[in-house]
Amino acid sequence: MDCQECLERLHPYLDRELTSKELDEVRVHLDDCGGCDSAFVLERVFLDRLRGSATSDVAPSGVRERLILRLRTDVRRRS
Amino acid sequence: MAQVADPFEQQALSFLDALYRTGLRMTRSEADAEDLVQETYIRAFRFRDQFTPGTNMKAWLFRILTNTFINSYRRRATQPQTTELDEIEETVLHRHMTEAGAPAATDPERAVLEGMVDTEVRQALEELPEHFRSVVLLDVEGFAYKEIAEMLDIPIGTVMSRLHRGRKFLQRRLYDLARERGIAAAKAMPRPEGA
Repeated sequence: MDCQECLERLHPYLDRELTSKELDEVRVHLDDCGGCDSAFVLERVFLDRLRGSATSDVAPSGVRERLILRLRTDVRRRS
Repeated sequence: MAQVADPFEQQALSFLDALYRTGLRMTRSEADAEDLVQETYIRAFRFRDQFTPGTNMKAWLFRILTNTFINSYRRRATQPQTTELDEIEETVLHRHMTEAGAPAATDPERAVLEGMVDTEVRQALEELPEHFRSVVLLDVEGFAYKEIAEMLDIPIGTVMSRLHRGRKFLQRRLYDLARERGIAAAKAMPRPEGA
């Protein structure tokens, strides 16, 4: 596997979407190539931070109460 | 507040925050996000017999959310004023993905990663063009390529390319936001003595 092929698998690798054969091929290349390895490390940090920031906010107060109220009304209306 | 005793209801409501924040970024409006989430739950409760206990309820609810958004909200959701993704130059981080024998990380890259601010990440997500945004939003909520493909009714290859380009856009935008923040911080700093 050359650098181009390895970098094309960067996201599927980090997203755990590669087959075990592909995974091994990428790992072998990363062990030998500092440039690709460093790109993978950086991208992993970016994706972890992205996921952390994108999933840390919660619904404003009142949303849950209004939802439950509407669900109850809907159930009553249909029964 | 009403008592929550029904296990289905209890489990379904545990995904409220995830559904709401995704709905908020899809519609870009708090009122629409709340309507979208209420509509999603009403459908989920009406069709609760179609849910197989023990299967992935989060994925089931997100499928309903996505369908409801596509059918009712997408047309009226305001679209961001953004550059076509094709025109976006390679990001600092992204250069590593395409250059063979990429060099070790340089300072600006580290600075962007270390300075990533929650509000800027959310802003950048909302600025993503809609078809990239849906894929990225479902990805950050932890869904697999195959699940995203089924939810949006697109091929897996399309999920992969949109995710790749969406992430590229985010890196570019976060880099710009970090730079603007750096400039603003520099302007706000007191002028050193004798400068």
